[in-house]
Amino acid sequence: MSRTAFVASIGRNEMKVPYSYLEQQFADVEPYLNDIRVLVRTGDFTLGKALVEFEERFGNLMGLPYAIGVGTGTDSLMLSLKIFGVGHGDEVITTPNTFVATVGAIAMTGARPVFVDNNEEYTIDVAKIEDAITPRTKAIMPVHLTGCPADMPAIMEIAERHHLIVVEDAAQAILASINGKSVGSWGATAGFSLHPLKNFNIWGDGGVIVTRSKQLYDKLRLFRNHGMVTRDEIAFWGHNCRMDTLQAVIANRLMGQVHFITDRRIANAKRYDEAFADLSEYIRIPPRRPNIRQVYHTYVVRVRDRDRLYKYLNENGIEAKIHYPTPLHLQKSAVYLGYKEGDFPVCEADCRTIITLPVHQHLTEEQIDYIIEKIRKFYS
Amino acid sequence: MNNHMRIPHVNIATQHAAIKDELLTAIGRVIDRGQFVLGDEVTEFEHRFAELCGVRYAVGLNSGTDALILALKALGIGSGDEVITVPNSFVASTSCIALLGARPVFVDVREDYNINPALIEQVITPRSRAILPVHLTGRPADMDPILEVARIYRLHVIEDCAQAVIAEYKGKRVGSFGFAGCFSLHPLKTLNACGDGGVLTTDDTCLAEQVRILRNIGLKTRDECVVWSGNSRLDTVQAAVLLVKLNYLEAWTEKRRANARFYQEHLGGLPQLQVPTDKPHERAVYHTFVIQADYRDELQAHLSKMGIGTAIHYPIPIHLQNVARDLGYRPGSFPIAERQAQRILSLPVYAELEEAELKYVADSIRGFYRAK
Repeated sequence: MSRTAFVASIGRNEMKVPYSYLEQQFADVEPYLNDIRVLVRTGDFTLGKALVEFEERFGNLMGLPYAIGVGTGTDSLMLSLKIFGVGHGDEVITTPNTFVATVGAIAMTGARPVFVDNNEEYTIDVAKIEDAITPRTKAIMPVHLTGCPADMPAIMEIAERHHLIVVEDAAQAILASINGKSVGSWGATAGFSLHPLKNFNIWGDGGVIVTRSKQLYDKLRLFRNHGMVTRDEIAFWGHNCRMDTLQAVIANRLMGQVHFITDRRIANAKRYDEAFADLSEYIRIPPRRPNIRQVYHTYVVRVRDRDRLYKYLNENGIEAKIHYPTPLHLQKSAVYLGYKEGDFPVCEADCRTIITLPVHQHLTEEQIDYIIEKIRKFYS
Repeated sequence: MNNHMRIPHVNIATQHAAIKDELLTAIGRVIDRGQFVLGDEVTEFEHRFAELCGVRYAVGLNSGTDALILALKALGIGSGDEVITVPNSFVASTSCIALLGARPVFVDVREDYNINPALIEQVITPRSRAILPVHLTGRPADMDPILEVARIYRLHVIEDCAQAVIAEYKGKRVGSFGFAGCFSLHPLKTLNACGDGGVLTTDDTCLAEQVRILRNIGLKTRDECVVWSGNSRLDTVQAAVLLVKLNYLEAWTEKRRANARFYQEHLGGLPQLQVPTDKPHERAVYHTFVIQADYRDELQAHLSKMGIGTAIHYPIPIHLQNVARDLGYRPGSFPIAERQAQRILSLPVYAELEEAELKYVADSIRGFYRAK
C-alpha cells in the first residue's frame, strides 16, 4: 500500500503509526541541503573528499581499519565474493529467510546459492551448516537478520575447519555485536547497506564493505572503480559500484545520530518484549541472549493467527509488515536449484507466523503503547 | 600576447553555479516526499529521456557500466560468447563483456575514432553474439553498415552511448538504432548527475521489462523474485537533478557544437593538426573535442604552462593494458587506434567556455607550432 493510500484508509480518530519515519527524521532538511550546496559548488562528485571522510569515520565506528563505500548493500556482498574469485562452479551457503539481495549477490558471481535453515533467532542454524558443505563450497554468507548477529564464533570455527571464506551480510545490523565484538569484524569482509530504510540511512542507494585486511581493501577499492589503478592503468576488469559522494555528505551528517538511533530502537524493542511477556501463548519472542547486542532493524515476532492480526493492525492505523512472506527457496528465481516445500521447515513455518512491528527511533511511547494495546485487544 | 588565463579541462562547478538553487529545490522536493528509491522523478526522467532519444522505453540505472552489463546479460551473453567492440574506449565498454565471462573481440577504428564497419566481418566467428559500437567523443558511429553486417550475421547491436546523448546519425538519435542504447550520466558527461547514474534505451518491450526487474534485485513485485539479480537503480535524488538539467541540455549541446566550430575554424589550417570535422549526416555532441597533434606531449606541456587543462582519452588502448594480455593481442594489432593513442589530445569544449577563452586556447596552440 502506498503511504497516501495507507493514511487515507484509516479512521479519523485512530492513531497512525506508519512504518516509514523519513518525514520526521528529515523534518529539518536545511543542514543537509547546506552541505549539499557546498558540494555542488565544488563539483567533487566521484570518489570525493566527503566519501574518504565517511569511509574513515565508518571504519572507526566499527572499530575496523578499512571501510569502502560502494553503490549498494548488494554490491558490498557481490564484490566481496568476487574478490575471492567465487564464481561458476562454486557454492555459497546462506539462509532462505533473508532479503533477496543476499542471494542476488551470490548468483551474480555465477556461484550456486545453497540454503541452510534458520534458527529461533532468524539467523542461520549452525548445527545444519556442515551437512550442506560439499567439495564445491567456497564461502558461507551468514545474515544478521533483523539486526540480530548470527552465531559467528560457531560459524568461524566451521569455516576454519573446512577452509571456507566468511562474508557477513550485515545489511541490517550496524552496531550489533557478540560479546562486545562488532558484526563485520568476524568474517573476511562484511557488507552493510545504507538504504533509506536502514538504521543508518542515506538519501538513495549505498553500501559499505569493511575488512581488516589491507590487501583486500586495496583490491576492493580498485574493483569498485573499473579496476583502475590510475586514470589510465587498469589492473583487472572491474565494476562501477561507487558510493556517491553526495550520499557520503548525508552519511557524514547522520554519523552523529547512529548511536542515538540504535539506542532508541533497542529501548522500543525492550518495551514490546516486556509488554508481550505474559502473552507467550500468542506471541513468541525470539531468544534475547545477554551477550548479544541486537539493533532491531526490524522487530519481528512469531504470532498466532498472523494474517488476521496483520489485517487488524493495518486497519487500526498500524503499518505492520512481513519480512518476508515467501521463503527464497520457493521463489520463482530458485526453481533451478531444485528445492521444494518442506526442505526448510523452520523458515517455512516462520513465513506463516512472523510479523514486523514498527520499532524505529521516531516512535513515541504513546504510539508503542497504542500498538501493544491493540495487540492485547486482538488476543483477548 | 594575451593575458595569462586559467582554463581547466572540465569545469562542472561553473555549470552548477548557475542552476544551484534549482537543483537544491528539486532535491529538497524528493526529501519532503521521502521517496528515495524508484520515486516519481525516476519515472518522469525515464519518460522524458525516452522521448528525447526517440525510443519507447528508457530505464534509469546506477551507472553507464551497469547499463551495458544488463543489456548483455538480458541477451544471455556469457561464458563462451564473443562480443565485438573497439580498443580505444573507456575501459567499461570492454569490462562489461569480460565481467560476464564473455570474450571481448576488438576491431580497429577510423580517423573519426569510431569502429571501422569494414573490419567487423573478418572477426565474426560462430561464437559472436553482439556488436558493441561506441559513439566516442559524442560522434555517432557509422550505424548503417554496422546494422547491415549485424543483420546478415544475426548479431545484436548494443550501442555504447555514454558520451553521446542526443547525437544524431541521419536524423535519428543514438540509442535508437540497436537492441539497446546504454548511456552514462556520470558527473563529467554532457547530461550529468551529481553522482553515478546511467540509463538504458530500447524499443523492445520485453527488454525494458527485463531490465526493470534486473535493476531491482530481480523483484517483479515487492515479494515476488523471478530472477536473482543485483541492485542497479538510479537514485531518485539524481533523477531530480537530471530533470532540471534536461531543460538545459539542448542549449548546452549547441554551445559545445559552437565551441567545436570555433576550434575547427581557428585550427583547421594547421598542417601539424588533425581537427575533427562533422559529416553532413552527423550531429556530433562533442563530449570531448579530440585533435591529433604532432609533438603531442610537448603541446600538452606547453598548454599546461599556459594554464590550459587538456586530457588524453585514452593514452593506452585497452588491448595493450595488462588486464587484456589473455586476449592475445599485441602492439600492431590495431594500428590506427595505437597511432591515435600517441597523437590525441582533448581540448576544453564545455558549454561554459567564453569566446575569449576559446581564442586563448587556439592562439596558444598556434603559438606553439609557430615556435616549433
